[in-house]
Amino acid sequence: MELVIALFIGLLYASGVYLLLRRSIVKLILGVFVISNATNLIIFLSGGITRSGVSFIADEAEKASLETMTDPLPQALILTAIVIGLGIAAYILALKYKYFETTGTHDLDQLSKTDQK
Amino acid sequence: MIIALPIFLPLAFMIFAFLFRHFHGREYVAIGAAALNLLISVFLLIEVNTDGMVKIQMGDWPAPFGITLIADRFSALMVLVSAIVFMATMAYSIQSVDSRRKSFGFYLFSFGILMGVNGSFLAGDIFNLYVWFEVMLMASFILMSHGGERNQLEGAIKYLILNLISSFFFVAGIGLLYGKLGTLNMADIAQKLMSYETMPPELNPAFILIFVGFAIKGALAPFFFWLPASYHTPPPVVTALFAGLLTKVGIYSLIRFYTLFLHQNSEFWQPLILWIAGLSMVIGVITATSQFEFRKVLSFHIISQVGYVVMGLGLYTVAGLAGAIFFLAHNMISKTNAFLVAGYVHRQKGTLNLKVLGDFYKEHPLWAIFFFISAFSLAGLPPLSGFIGKYLLIKAGIDAQQLGIAFTALFVGFFTLFSMVKIWMEVFWKKTPEKQPVPIIKTALFDDKPVYINWMTWSSGAMAIIIVLTGVFATPVVDYCTLAAESLMKPSEYINFVLNHTQEL
Repeated sequence: MELVIALFIGLLYASGVYLLLRRSIVKLILGVFVISNATNLIIFLSGGITRSGVSFIADEAEKASLETMTDPLPQALILTAIVIGLGIAAYILALKYKYFETTGTHDLDQLSKTDQK
Repeated sequence: MIIALPIFLPLAFMIFAFLFRHFHGREYVAIGAAALNLLISVFLLIEVNTDGMVKIQMGDWPAPFGITLIADRFSALMVLVSAIVFMATMAYSIQSVDSRRKSFGFYLFSFGILMGVNGSFLAGDIFNLYVWFEVMLMASFILMSHGGERNQLEGAIKYLILNLISSFFFVAGIGLLYGKLGTLNMADIAQKLMSYETMPPELNPAFILIFVGFAIKGALAPFFFWLPASYHTPPPVVTALFAGLLTKVGIYSLIRFYTLFLHQNSEFWQPLILWIAGLSMVIGVITATSQFEFRKVLSFHIISQVGYVVMGLGLYTVAGLAGAIFFLAHNMISKTNAFLVAGYVHRQKGTLNLKVLGDFYKEHPLWAIFFFISAFSLAGLPPLSGFIGKYLLIKAGIDAQQLGIAFTALFVGFFTLFSMVKIWMEVFWKKTPEKQPVPIIKTALFDDKPVYINWMTWSSGAMAIIIVLTGVFATPVVDYCTLAAESLMKPSEYINFVLNHTQEL
């Protein structure tokens, strides 16, 4: 199962990078979202999917009885990361909308007005 | 208890600013809060200096399970310097930010940056560090695009995408590290790493991901492109705030990570960090000399000066780290002040294009002196603070037998002087050209309400005085930095202090 998810994360990163390299700003933003979710999956996977140790139980006997439980901390971390990602997603879409309103373009190559000639 | 205040005070101000957004005295409340923050950080510094380290376990959960806030001498100094920078920029903003921006939460988001920065300096837990980074970034994204001018939106998109990618690198590294070590507390990670004979190779991907994340945030050599593409677009005071605080947090975290974790694999990291430092210095300074926009010249200089700090880290001796800490503190103040002067020039002339400007020394001699002090402190002329910083670093480089990097630093110092003289000649000395070769573009509005105190002059002047004083009376500061560097070189003290369960606060 780990291998399948690992390959899937790789696929997500590949598509994210592909989208980042497109010229349209919308696709750039989609690429950022995809990479953000791939990163969340990395945390999820690195915590172990099944039969990992529970992080904060010191007692070995108690730990053995909980063998089939997975470590809950990475999932809490992902929850935080998802909330941050959501806030950023809201902001970035608003920024894109404002940019489109001001300039009327989606093209990343037009983002050179502030560069020096 | 005092250690949590630099985080809670900005939060309290943010709640205030959100609830009372129509209150017109908001800028004075902001200055009051910034001054209170400065006072708190002075007390924190005094307390840390007597005890060595201060910590608090949030929610009283013992380390390594609960979140630790810890201040050692290095982080207390950084909190103090960022409080000075923040105070100056807040006072400056009263006149230099237009009332529309103020009423749409300029102060709210500035304090968001302060909260994120203080949190990152005090965090003792890597995931907590990531969260503070995000707090700081979120506030900085908003300030970057705040006002919605076309230039700002362009700069904000570039800034946002590259910084988000650096956060992904960082958080992916944290995930891998947690997967291997099962802990997020920095002291606990360091302890687990020390128990290994050699660094296990499966940890290297995690460290490289985290390193790249910090390198992008700190604008180091191959990763700096977001900085000069965006820093010249927002209102000048925002650039001053960013230049003083944001990249320095990335460098602070890099120093913290290197001294706690990465030094155990130093035969790999040390040459890499020295090369990156050298490349940042050279690339930053050479590209800066070819720019013809005031803030762009200064932005490229940020890259080269970050290189100096990382050079001190790469030497990894007490003298080198002490130099790095001193240089970091000096750079935060001098750089911010240089941008504050740029803001004043912009306010008077409506442009920052070097080709169009001129005669500023004749018209505003006081501001010319402020610029002279901060720019030549950046270039490293005695008796200003930059000279002490560069002297410490280059001497440490020669003592550590790293002659290549020491001479690179000397050579880069020469070019820094060259481009500072270029700004001096173009903006302050030469006559304003009669035929304007490029059209003047006004990019930001100002608040022209009459005020009784000339806040801009006072804030920039205070910063200039601090620069001169740190240069002239450098001995206590250098001693303090040496103590800070000594405690950074002994990570076991940090580990014992955090994990010692009996010594709860």
